[in-house]
Amino acid sequence: MSTTKTGNIPPERHALHELAGEYVLGTLSAARRREVEARLADDLQLQAAVHAWEDRLLPLTGLVEPVASSPRLWARIERSLDALAVPAPRPAPRRAWWRWDSLALWRGLTAGGFAIATLLAAVLVGRLAEPPAEARFMVVLVAPDDKAPGWVVQAGASGARQVELIPLGAVEVPRDKALQFWTKAEGWSAPVSLGLVTPGQTLRVPAGSLPAVQPDQLFELTLEPRSGSPTGRPTGPVRYIGRAVKVM
Amino acid sequence: MPALPEFDYEATLAACAAGERAAMQRLYAQEGGRLLGVVQRIVRDAALAEDIVHDACVNIWTRAARFDPARGSARGWIYSVARNLALNAVRDGARELAVDDDTAAALDARASLEAWHDMADAFAWQDSAGRLGPCLEQLEPVRRNCILHAYVDGLSHNEIARRLEAPLGTVKAWIKRSLAALRECMG
Repeated sequence: MSTTKTGNIPPERHALHELAGEYVLGTLSAARRREVEARLADDLQLQAAVHAWEDRLLPLTGLVEPVASSPRLWARIERSLDALAVPAPRPAPRRAWWRWDSLALWRGLTAGGFAIATLLAAVLVGRLAEPPAEARFMVVLVAPDDKAPGWVVQAGASGARQVELIPLGAVEVPRDKALQFWTKAEGWSAPVSLGLVTPGQTLRVPAGSLPAVQPDQLFELTLEPRSGSPTGRPTGPVRYIGRAVKVM
Repeated sequence: MPALPEFDYEATLAACAAGERAAMQRLYAQEGGRLLGVVQRIVRDAALAEDIVHDACVNIWTRAARFDPARGSARGWIYSVARNLALNAVRDGARELAVDDDTAAALDARASLEAWHDMADAFAWQDSAGRLGPCLEQLEPVRRNCILHAYVDGLSHNEIARRLEAPLGTVKAWIKRSLAALRECMG
């Protein structure tokens, strides 16, 4: 390969190396990236071309200064690896398993991938945010057990604030129950109710009384009695949960 | 730059594939900071970067058995896992929607265009980049900057065009030709 001259390579090979090069470089659009990823599953030539580019360009990572990670990151990775080692951890129901800091809940979520949720958020921003300048935070709320996304939360970071909860599909709620929308930012002693949710409908909450949404702020929907939680705190199981990701 | 002690990436991945948690921890200790740096440079958000490095590490752990040393370097594979997650996160429209003043300011602050020569010196480019260094040097500076903005900063064609104040079509052509030149130069 080291002596190969591009002049001897048929044009379709050029196209292959060009596509692989742009894929690794990162300049392909989202749609083209997905095309390449789909092809990579069984196109050995493309795989080889991509691997060659990965190794060619790898030294460029040396131009980036390492960043000190928060001490929590490795701990978080370890928890996810622990969760992988124990298939489908099921917490005992009598424990407060809906809690915001419930390890099992977050284990499941983190193993499933926040980046996937972020990616979904990015797609949805494209569809939903018009004009885009308002929506500064996105949250994809996923079901804790199968990570299926069910709702999207949009929130402006400043100015006239409102939090929008947008359904992605139909949700079944038992007749005598209701979904209640909660949020909790770091440092808050307890989740704050943002109201009861009508399945299938967008809920708009004027957030004037709330502080601006923060990165990583938690949002969840819990199953509560029909008139809402009697205690002002979540009492029922978490049906959807996610945390805020800043979008530019 | 002092020579780094040899780290056996292939053996470490093999140990990960065998379920040795300590190997994953060594890999994280070895590369975690740079992985985070590389990802954060692309996504420009510290919390999102940590999410992505988390996901990348989980991926590396679960897919280590499928890494095939015959197809590329172990270190290249590790970075490709993280970079692909980061690129997917930024390519899906969010950033294209609003390159607002904040973003523009962040880009300006980084001033990577001017920084290229400083970086090359600071990083002992010619020694550390192997065959890539001389091949990059052969490119005209503006084309080299296209490659660096794309790979290091995660910029799209559009963003590079805006950054360099060059027409989009020109930027696309520069990148294609630069890639062809690099491949010819490096084999």
